[in-house]
Amino acid sequence: MLETDVLIIGGGPAGMCAAIEAAKLGVKTTVVEDKDRLGGQLVKQTHQFFGSEKHHAGVRGIDIGVKLAGECSDLKVNALTNTTCTGIFDDGSVGCLRGEEFFLIHPKRIVIATGAYENMLPFPDCDLPGVYGAGGLQTLMNVDGVLPGKTYLMVGAGNIGLIVSYQLMQAGAEVVAIVEALDRVGGYEVHAAKVKRMGVPIFLRHTVTHVSGDGKVERATISKIDGSFKPVPGSEFTVSVDAVCLAVGLSPLIELIAQAGCETRYIPECAGHVAVHDSNMRTSLEHIFVAGDASGIEEASAAMVEGRIAGLHAALDVTHGKADSNELLREFDSQLDELRTGPFGQKARQGKSKLWGLKLPPDEEFEEAPPIIPESGKKPVIECPQNIPCNPCAVSCPTESITIGDNITNFPVLDQGTCNGCGNCVAACPGLAVFLVNRDYSDREAEITIPWELTPPPEKGDKGYALDRTGVAICPATVTKIRRVKKIDKKRLLVAFTVPLDKADEARHFVIVEPKGAEKIETLPPADDIIICRCEDVTQKEILDCFNSGYKSFDEIKRYLRTGMGPCQGKTCQRLILGILARELKTHVSELAPQTVRTPMKPTELEIYASSKEIEPWDFENWQPPGGGH
Amino acid sequence: MRIEKHPILDFARGKKVKFTFDGREITGHEGETITAALVAAGVLTLSKSIKLERPRGFFCGIGRCSSCYMVVNGVSNVRACVTPLEKGMDVNTQVGRGEIASC
Ligand SMILES: Cc1cc2nc3c(=O)[nH]c(=O)nc-3n(C[C@H](O)[C@H](O)[C@H](O)COP(=O)(O)OP(=O)(O)OC[C@H]3O[C@@H](n4cnc5c(N)ncnc54)[C@H](O)[C@@H]3O)c2cc1C
Ligand code: SF4
Ligand code: SF4
Ligand code: FES
Repeated sequence: MLETDVLIIGGGPAGMCAAIEAAKLGVKTTVVEDKDRLGGQLVKQTHQFFGSEKHHAGVRGIDIGVKLAGECSDLKVNALTNTTCTGIFDDGSVGCLRGEEFFLIHPKRIVIATGAYENMLPFPDCDLPGVYGAGGLQTLMNVDGVLPGKTYLMVGAGNIGLIVSYQLMQAGAEVVAIVEALDRVGGYEVHAAKVKRMGVPIFLRHTVTHVSGDGKVERATISKIDGSFKPVPGSEFTVSVDAVCLAVGLSPLIELIAQAGCETRYIPECAGHVAVHDSNMRTSLEHIFVAGDASGIEEASAAMVEGRIAGLHAALDVTHGKADSNELLREFDSQLDELRTGPFGQKARQGKSKLWGLKLPPDEEFEEAPPIIPESGKKPVIECPQNIPCNPCAVSCPTESITIGDNITNFPVLDQGTCNGCGNCVAACPGLAVFLVNRDYSDREAEITIPWELTPPPEKGDKGYALDRTGVAICPATVTKIRRVKKIDKKRLLVAFTVPLDKADEARHFVIVEPKGAEKIETLPPADDIIICRCEDVTQKEILDCFNSGYKSFDEIKRYLRTGMGPCQGKTCQRLILGILARELKTHVSELAPQTVRTPMKPTELEIYASSKEIEPWDFENWQPPGGGH
Repeated sequence: MRIEKHPILDFARGKKVKFTFDGREITGHEGETITAALVAAGVLTLSKSIKLERPRGFFCGIGRCSSCYMVVNGVSNVRACVTPLEKGMDVNTQVGRGEIASC
């Protein structure tokens, strides 16, 4: 039996930050993490984050993960990796599994920061090898450096779909298209602009209707959809791809929360069922806190602050409030408010307001950013048209020529008079949305400097084409200079090339070989049924038959068809089945009961439980609170 | 397919080791996931589903969806996407529910 003051389940950004704040208060802190290292989703995020310096803006996700893990170890947090928490019992003990070893932890307080799981999209043959979750593909590609094919179709134009598309291209793959069911791009415009100028078309109001191939995906059929999300007959076309990548949203992972008995509620703005929690991140059970994606899908920046709040409150409970943390807590609250301002923070703001019984904040409209087009000299052109929470361009500028102001969702404003054309802002912008344009390069040519993060980079003197914002080749271009601004980013290159003067406002990318568009190929008919529960091989038809013979709830269907009883325990199918039920019952998912969750969370052979061994307790005896305790 | 050149990342791959997949010898890197080693060698089907024996590859890549369960050193239901590769591992396509396939 292992005793600890605060136990954190999940070692992602939320869990690590919870651990850091708890340990800083001098309480014994333990983190259990399923994977072999701390970091959660951060371990695969090669892009620079948005936000402000407080949220590590401009730093790549992977580096933030390493930094937080380092802080945990400096603060002597006991990190149990390769360990899965399988259940929280009524007596407050927590069951954990490490390899074949089952053991119990007795914490005084628990913070659940288990993150999220990826949503599945059902369509004929959606279970063929070659249909991958965006996060899964990102892990394989960025952690192990392996790609399962050369050509991809991305489904979903939210930030994840856009970022993973770009990262696929960084890894040398080809993204033939991005399809998005909505009539607009859900992610940041700067992320969309980045892939569009590299020639990737984004088809709005389109979806993938089926895939086909011999034992693996070889082709994907895309169709236009109407206002009620139904495919428009005759609009389909097929492309040849090795893989289809699904970036259709995340759902909070709440199995442990539900199993522990915390009250849950369906909040669409939080992306699913979440634990009811207050603004201190405490759930309906006094000893259990929640933080990060598990408490509602947001971004890592918000997950980190929520983690800090949860960790601090959990620790304050243990020390019986013997620490003056009010100022710190006020600071965290204001950071969260800051992150949740603007149109992109709207969902989170509304979801949390619902949970806390506050009046719903009004919808915020996007403002149009005023275009900044310098007329002469070498000046940055900032193409950042939305109120996103971000400011590295301003922070990186040595002459303070770019200002954002106190509200981090303000647009960047450029003072052309003081700007010296150094290009730091081009190197710093995580959205790759700043370019230098030098209209005085020569009588007939302008020089464009673009941020470059692809392999292979061009070389000085290379001749090729300039592409416009939609990826169309518009004119010949010659590379004049390649450099780095090492103190800002060690990897990113700044590539300068010349174009005819009249193309200065259009040229935004450089290629040596002109890109070719996706080729349409023959469409094969779809399979006539859809796998909904992949663990138990249950199809949509079987579920509908079951429904029509009187089984009307998730638990009833589960008992009859075993859906949700396979090893993934409903992570893939629960959302889909609730969706089918809601459709058939003409109601909303929020009105339906999710599945009843029982321990263990990860199907385990019962023998392992029977053999529940004592594990070597971590050496809390010789443990020193950092800084001599507060 | 292995990514050889990346503009941002340097992959610190473990030393090369041999293992078997359905009896065939394959080379991978120690410490990478079994899925990574197989996908790099062009193997996309990791299991056959339990009733319909449909081919399945990885899906979530983080140990949550059960799509990649394989029989490793005689033990079934091993999550290939989160299990590090070791020298000499005997990896097999899992057909149906684990127990049946562990022969
Ligand atoms: C492709 C992509 C791009 C993104 N880009 C950005 C970005 O630019 N900026 C940004 O701010 N955010 C970004 N995000 C979002 C961000 O990654 C998440 O919001 C953040 O990681 C959530 O943190 P978390 O700690 O709640 O969860 P996670 O990072 O998912 O961590 C949860 C951890 O808990 C562990 N765990 C789960 N269950 C158990 C259990 N039972 N026992 C033990 N351990 C368990 C998991 O293994 C995992 O390590 C992106 C996400 C994706 C997928
Ligand atoms: S080019 Fe240099 S001086 Fe001008 S705005 Fe950018 S960072 Fe500031
Ligand atoms: S221009 Fe500035 S605010 Fe806009 S994405 Fe780039 S760094 Fe962020
Ligand atoms: S791919 Fe989902 S569990 Fe391995």
